[in-house]
Amino acid sequence: MNKSMNVSENVETTITQSSRRDFFRKTAAYSVSALAAASVMAPVKIKAEDDPAIIEEQPWATAWGAPVTENLYGLPSPYESNVTRRVTELLSSGNMKASIAVTPIQDIEGIIVPNGLFFNRCHGGTPEIDPNKHRLMIHGLVEKPLVLTMDELKKYPSVSRIHFIECPANGGPEWRNPQFPSIQFAKGFMSCAEWTGVYLKDILKDLGLKPEAKWMLAEGGDSSHMGRTVPIDKVLDDAMIVWGQNGEALRPEQGYPIRLLLPGWEGNLMVKWLARLEFSSEPYYAKEETAKYTALTNHDGKAIQHFYANEVNSVITSPCPEKPWTDLKKGDVIEIQGLAWSGMGTIEGVDISFDGGKNWVEASLKGLVLPHAWTRFSYIYKYEGKPLFLSSRARDDAGYVQPSVKQERDAVGVEGVYHRNGIHTWEVTEKGEVHNVQILS
Amino acid sequence: MFKSYRKLLSTVTVVALASVSAMAAGDASRTYANGKKVIDGGMTYPVKKGLTASYHVNTQKAYKDVKFGRAATPNEIKAWDIDVMYDGTGLPEGEGSVEMGDEIYEAKCASCHFDFGAGGAGYPALQQGNAYEMQKTLKLQRLHPDDDGPKRNFGSYWPYASTLFWYIKTGMPHPAPMSLSNDETYALVAYILSINEIKIDGEELDDDFVLNKKNFLKIVMPNKDGFIPKIEGKDGLENVRKFYDNPKNFGGNKERCMKDCFDGEPKVARIQGVGISDYNPPISEKKEKPAKKASSDSNEAKATYEASCAVCHGTDAMGAPVVGDKQAWAAVLKKGIDKVYMNGIKGINGMPPKGGTSLDDDKFKAVVDYMVKTSK
Repeated sequence: MNKSMNVSENVETTITQSSRRDFFRKTAAYSVSALAAASVMAPVKIKAEDDPAIIEEQPWATAWGAPVTENLYGLPSPYESNVTRRVTELLSSGNMKASIAVTPIQDIEGIIVPNGLFFNRCHGGTPEIDPNKHRLMIHGLVEKPLVLTMDELKKYPSVSRIHFIECPANGGPEWRNPQFPSIQFAKGFMSCAEWTGVYLKDILKDLGLKPEAKWMLAEGGDSSHMGRTVPIDKVLDDAMIVWGQNGEALRPEQGYPIRLLLPGWEGNLMVKWLARLEFSSEPYYAKEETAKYTALTNHDGKAIQHFYANEVNSVITSPCPEKPWTDLKKGDVIEIQGLAWSGMGTIEGVDISFDGGKNWVEASLKGLVLPHAWTRFSYIYKYEGKPLFLSSRARDDAGYVQPSVKQERDAVGVEGVYHRNGIHTWEVTEKGEVHNVQILS
Repeated sequence: MFKSYRKLLSTVTVVALASVSAMAAGDASRTYANGKKVIDGGMTYPVKKGLTASYHVNTQKAYKDVKFGRAATPNEIKAWDIDVMYDGTGLPEGEGSVEMGDEIYEAKCASCHFDFGAGGAGYPALQQGNAYEMQKTLKLQRLHPDDDGPKRNFGSYWPYASTLFWYIKTGMPHPAPMSLSNDETYALVAYILSINEIKIDGEELDDDFVLNKKNFLKIVMPNKDGFIPKIEGKDGLENVRKFYDNPKNFGGNKERCMKDCFDGEPKVARIQGVGISDYNPPISEKKEKPAKKASSDSNEAKATYEASCAVCHGTDAMGAPVVGDKQAWAAVLKKGIDKVYMNGIKGINGMPPKGGTSLDDDKFKAVVDYMVKTSK
């Protein structure tokens, strides 16, 4: 038997095949390897067009797999090892302790990012917090300042919600020009998950929030002690304290044991490793709402402070630089698909352009369409091998439509760093390669 | 209802629909129950008929009676309430001079922020020149490749010095936060003000200048009025609400053009050269098992050294024994290896405990062993 014969070399040969039944019948008589070399099936004539993946028995089809005791906490297939968060030195302090690792959105299916691929931004490294020694304190302008253990917190009735979290600097390095030949770095500072926790307003009902309380400081218990100021409106609307992420406890990178969740707002506001909430009549001016996370505009050099919601946005995830159309033939009919999201509400629709935004057609939404959540869009396209400028443009139920790059630059300039949501365009070449470009028309 | 609402929204008269009042379950609203506009300019999803958007909600009245936890004690609040507000609330007693700040800076800050707060290697600059001059650069926009851009740093950009005190006290030095006394923090703020040439009462701060709780509020940062909307004071929330009610303020767009949206061919900007593509790990779409890495304790120790120790032990700038310097390490080892381990675990001179890492003792010792071995 000639298992190693390379059929694609146009060699016509004869092999014999073993069947499963033979295997079981003869295990008593042969070792597994001996069996493979001594099959007794009728010979099959192999031709060049036959796929060896089908003709040849694969090792996993002819031997035991792993016992159920292996990986009691499961892992992805080792063949998926290319699907991973990635880092670049440009976006990091020298020691990767105040840094970001971004999500391979080119490889994400549906609208839920697996916990191991959820993007990770931290300001002092990822702490390993003992949940038995972690407390949440709520104080300031409340009649009854409160301390909760994690067990006590989880006794509150829980809700589960699907929301994206996006770093407001997603796309931020590209205000002045495209920089990244990669969707993972151009748009991967975000992820979406199902979060489980409690509405903050449900805990506050019993604490006697004073009428002069207008702002809430949220502070983390990690080494950065990062704080952010949240207006009371959001606290009493849909702010949550979450401990669950896609069916399990939050990952350490996402704030284990608890983080603040402010649906649709800047990821940085959703303080991780949450330890303290203080209510006050005045805002706090924490470091990450003055030095950073403020958007310098062309309005006389003024910077927008307290920039909350990430505005309506979208990107085509297939094709993209990582997943080009180089293997397509003219005439192939293919799905263009991508992600749309809005921190201001729910996606209403997405348009697609093949000429860089001069003319548009409406794409179809697909799957669940939820507030402040990733929404998939789809468009079936007949590939003709012509060069394209492929753009997507989302709109939300608050009436906002993604601006063109030119409209956005005219409106706020190019120095904002944060909250860039101009239309994203891929250049598709005649060969089907995909490049990151911007259309300035 | 939901469907027809969506249909209406896709027409151009979106803004006029703000006051759609008769809502069915799952509808979106531009206003909260108290009648105020949603603060971020977007939508809210009130519970109607047991639904918020597509989510079902438990509407039992007993829901509100769930309560757990206990009262926070005054000492507990005191221990954790260490923020410092722009009006001085939270500033502790204490004082420190520019000169003292300079010494602390050299010992604990310069290894990352470099001399005089110049910054580099991914660590932020603390000054880029005279703060009043640098503040003027905030109007610059880099519309062409050779344009000068805005200089954003503490002196030129931050609206209040309270933020600096709070941040240093709770977040710095980065490997060992919460290790500075109040006096040391005052001194560092004074020093950083001085290298930014910030004036107090019209005077530049000389070495003898002492910053304390009293004169702190005299600091007026050059870019105090550089931020919109105005959030402090009694109208703060309403200012924010008004700001996000006007899309022009933040670049919001409501126009949906479908045909001939610009003249001529598209004007295309492309990545310069290869762009930024030094990714770790490199991009790959190949489905293959990773090659097995030869991993050993020694490799791990080396990696830890490079990530966490080399910043101080890689050069003599910090006074730490330089790895590879045989004489320096021979001197250190005269104390005996156990003493060397212990000093490292507890911290010594400018070195924080375990060098600011969270390694367990055995792993930390392996790193010390690596450093010793490399210096023989």
